[in-house]
Amino acid sequence: MGYPQKPHARETVVLSKYFGDADARTYKGWIKRGGYEMLAQALTMEPAKIIDIVKESGLRGRGGAGFPTGLKWSFMPKEKKKPHYLCVNADESEPGTFKDREIMRWTPHALLEGSAIAAHAIQAEVVYIYIRGEFTEPWTYMERALAEATAAKVFGGIKIYLHRGAGAYICGEETALMNSIEGKRGNPRIKPPFPAAAGVFGMPTTINNVETLAAVPHILKQGAAWYKGLSLSSPKSTGTKLFSVCGHVQRPGNYEVTMGFPLKDLLYELCGGMQAGRTLKACIPGGSSVPILSREETEGCLLDYEGVVEKGSMLGSGGVIVFDDSTDMVYQIMRLARFYAHESCAQCTQCREGTAWTTKILERILAGQGKMADLDLLLDLSENMTGKTICVLSDSCAAPVVSGIKKFRSEFEEYIAGRRRAVMVA
Amino acid sequence: MADELINLTIDGAPVSVPKGTLVIEAAKQAGILVPHYCYHPGLPVAGVCRMCLVEIEKAPKLQIACATQVAEGMVVRTQSAPAKQGRMGVLELLLINHPLDCPICDQAGECELQDFTFQEGRPATRYSPDYPKRFNPVEDFGPDVLYVPNRCILCTRCVRFMEDIAKEPVLNVSERGDRAYIGIHPDARLDHPWAGNVVDLCPVGSLLSKDFLHKARAWELDKTASICTGCSQGCSITLDTRDNVVVRVRPRPNLEVNRFFICDHGRMNYRWMNRGDRIEAPLVQRDGELHATDWDEACERVATLLRGAGGRAVALVSPKASTEALFLARELFAGGGGRGGGLEWIGAFQVVMGEEAPLVGVPNLALRAERAPNAKGAELLGYSRDYAAALAAAETAAIVLVLDEPDLVVRTAGTLIYAGTVLPEGARAAAVVLPIANVAEEDGTFVNRDGRAQRYFQAKPAPGMARPAWWVLSELAAAAGRGERVATAAEAFERLTAAADGLRGLVPA
Amino acid sequence: MSVSVHAPPAGTETYEPVFAGAVLDQLGEILARYPTKQAALLPALWIVQRARGWISDRNMAEVAEVLGLTPAYVKGVVTFYTMYHQHPVGKHFVQVCTTSPCNICGAEAVAKAFLDSTGAKELGATSPDGKWTVIEVECLGACGFATPVLVDDDFIESVTPEKVPELVRKYK
Repeated sequence: MGYPQKPHARETVVLSKYFGDADARTYKGWIKRGGYEMLAQALTMEPAKIIDIVKESGLRGRGGAGFPTGLKWSFMPKEKKKPHYLCVNADESEPGTFKDREIMRWTPHALLEGSAIAAHAIQAEVVYIYIRGEFTEPWTYMERALAEATAAKVFGGIKIYLHRGAGAYICGEETALMNSIEGKRGNPRIKPPFPAAAGVFGMPTTINNVETLAAVPHILKQGAAWYKGLSLSSPKSTGTKLFSVCGHVQRPGNYEVTMGFPLKDLLYELCGGMQAGRTLKACIPGGSSVPILSREETEGCLLDYEGVVEKGSMLGSGGVIVFDDSTDMVYQIMRLARFYAHESCAQCTQCREGTAWTTKILERILAGQGKMADLDLLLDLSENMTGKTICVLSDSCAAPVVSGIKKFRSEFEEYIAGRRRAVMVA
Repeated sequence: MADELINLTIDGAPVSVPKGTLVIEAAKQAGILVPHYCYHPGLPVAGVCRMCLVEIEKAPKLQIACATQVAEGMVVRTQSAPAKQGRMGVLELLLINHPLDCPICDQAGECELQDFTFQEGRPATRYSPDYPKRFNPVEDFGPDVLYVPNRCILCTRCVRFMEDIAKEPVLNVSERGDRAYIGIHPDARLDHPWAGNVVDLCPVGSLLSKDFLHKARAWELDKTASICTGCSQGCSITLDTRDNVVVRVRPRPNLEVNRFFICDHGRMNYRWMNRGDRIEAPLVQRDGELHATDWDEACERVATLLRGAGGRAVALVSPKASTEALFLARELFAGGGGRGGGLEWIGAFQVVMGEEAPLVGVPNLALRAERAPNAKGAELLGYSRDYAAALAAAETAAIVLVLDEPDLVVRTAGTLIYAGTVLPEGARAAAVVLPIANVAEEDGTFVNRDGRAQRYFQAKPAPGMARPAWWVLSELAAAAGRGERVATAAEAFERLTAAADGLRGLVPA
Repeated sequence: MSVSVHAPPAGTETYEPVFAGAVLDQLGEILARYPTKQAALLPALWIVQRARGWISDRNMAEVAEVLGLTPAYVKGVVTFYTMYHQHPVGKHFVQVCTTSPCNICGAEAVAKAFLDSTGAKELGATSPDGKWTVIEVECLGACGFATPVLVDDDFIESVTPEKVPELVRKYK
């Protein structure tokens, strides 16, 4: 999208069509633009039919995990014995990601419509939209839109409520989100049980990301085949994705491109490339929890789930953080580790203690007190923090550390050897 | 379906357990203890400490044994390199902020952090001295519990106990990340009647009992299985003694009665077991005074009194006395085939009552209103609860036997025989005083309120010449020609199951 | 061993409940959205913070009573979520994002500019005139509009050190 600029010619504008169009936020404005037609249609369809369409489309979770959405919906009990719930994950807190915010600010009705269709598909009567506490502006627009749409009775028997978060990145983890809705500390849950079996309030629940749900009305309108056809590389990655590009590019912003789009083109063409006199040093393609890509890897990377994995990272949330050659990689990796240490819920030993220790080691290195053994220690710690905890926050802290040491080792060694001046760490 | 057995292999050993069993429990069956902290069979599963990481074939990542159910054909490896490395990682991270308090920490010697670190931890620190350890001051949580945040490993057993078992969520986890600690609201105190269990549950020396603080080292303690005398619930306990002094009471696992817990009333109910002002020799009344003597003379004196007596005998017994003693007291008057008979007897007991305090999360478990362990035993043996009537009858009785009732004031025109642990004023007029052992000094059984007979064992020697009450009564009966001697408490128990109606077929646990 | 003891409250001042009248009605409406009372906890805490500016231990006890929870439980929840203030803050509360995407775009300089312009001097401290508290926060979800800043409920994008003095002046 490049909002606030006009869409770039190479974007595939679907979800971002009305970004910047204040009229689209209103109920009347949305109706004028064809809104809620697909909801009305969906409410007359069999839930199983809707699930089939979404399955066929190849839509995958846009929050970060990339799990096939139709498949996730199909995990819900077919026979309704208990109340079903849909939770909408609008907790967007992954560093580098700012797309759900735009969807809610500009097209709140799109989210409401997608949520209602999804609720119908999974036979849920209640929808909780969990919006992070800091999103005061999206909240306002969502609240207004919800009031208007509810008054217009478009949701059938489905009840949609907004639930405000209060400052916890971990509540973006689907089981932590459910605990937060229940009025508990935002601790992730051990699985099993899985949400579709016992989720919020112990009832069958599906949790979907904002961007995922915003795509649903389009899929219903233009068909699964259309969505599936939007694929430039891997057939397992379909549709469009809003990539939130930030950091050292000329034109940061959200860009909606077809899956498989070359990352190089996104950065150099759509975003206008680096700042004057600067070159690309590194890029994190999917929000800070995925491995850092080197310049070479970045420039050869195709933006779909499989393409990024091929380069050794993950598509994740699509939050593209761009570092140019002025960046102190050691400092930024420390800052990311500090982020994870701040956000750890404290349940698992490796995460609670490991994120803090990792941060401390990096701070010492930056302060000129590091030793060569520290790098091995960091890698060993990262190994202990990966694949052994309830959720992946611990792994997410390890990702930039491991990839950072692997690809930018010399910068660490500069500090350790005293060839780089120590920095004051706040 | 419920009885369906699942077969799996753990460390090469075949194991067969019911469907739904957790891997950590299945491992116990193979004699394998998977290291763990947050898991406890009496608490809901948390899966937070990550200590019980094991390798399971076909699973891509290490799994926690406490939250994984067994599956047919599952192959578990607890000692593989990845599993051990995973656990070593957890131990290292638990120790980075853990103070080197072992020399001053009560938990030393019974500390699971020490145990597992010794077993599979790193030999040296990579944290100190470069990085400072987290520090928070000690907190006083309530009547008996101290919280040492520096030692806490955030296993949350205490929080889960208060929330899910005591059903009074007075403890919480406060803050987030490595700033987290166990918190309590400033207006709240940890004074729940069952709160002391958090001290036992704490795997490290973070939650401490003020009562036990710095009292003894774990390895100095002798541990004896016993039954709590605080009320009629009959919780299984362990008496910890050091140099023959009872210094601590802890719960003993008993899935039928108290699961893994005891109440604070029972927990604190042990100082009286160490009383020094005990009757240490048999005493006989002579020239207006009680004189110490030996057992032979004392028994002979009682025998003479019994032979010469005619009319009524009254036995006023304590519901804290063992079932064996209560039986033999009855036999003294009512049994013996009538030889030396002619004694009509009544026996009675009274029970101190208090407020009931259930542990809501466990079925049928409470600090019971009846504050005595063997009221049921007394009842089954035919003792009456009409104490007032018995006291009245005692006034004109020929013989009054009082068994371990130190606060009793009894008036009698007849002969008073007092068997007890301490000598009250009211017993100075007794013809014979017989020193007996207390619950920590003998083997015996109590019958709890549900009719369950449970054994307790001797933890320390009785002072001076004091003997178990069952022995004393057996000797009296033999001397008076009113019954056969019994050689052991077990023999006494066997006899009573045969003789008493309500106790027929009883088997002690 | 230094020990801090939890003593029973003095309770000398009268406490004015938050959940009374219209506010209690508002809570009732919120309670209707969930199958449990406990689920209204986060919304209830927001109501308290909006009414009183922060959430005291006494407030927590009130919320606990209204929702059938224990004060300790409520406190455990309050201390988890960083947006709830556990002590009074300045009239205006400034949250500056300094996580990496904004960090590489000069966020730390923005935070410093706020400290200078408001007189707050130190992160987390309240300015001497009681008007300002400035803190650094983690990712605010507007990385492409670096540096985003929350001043109370106002989400302001693209803040640079140069814009800060004017911004601060706007808030009386």
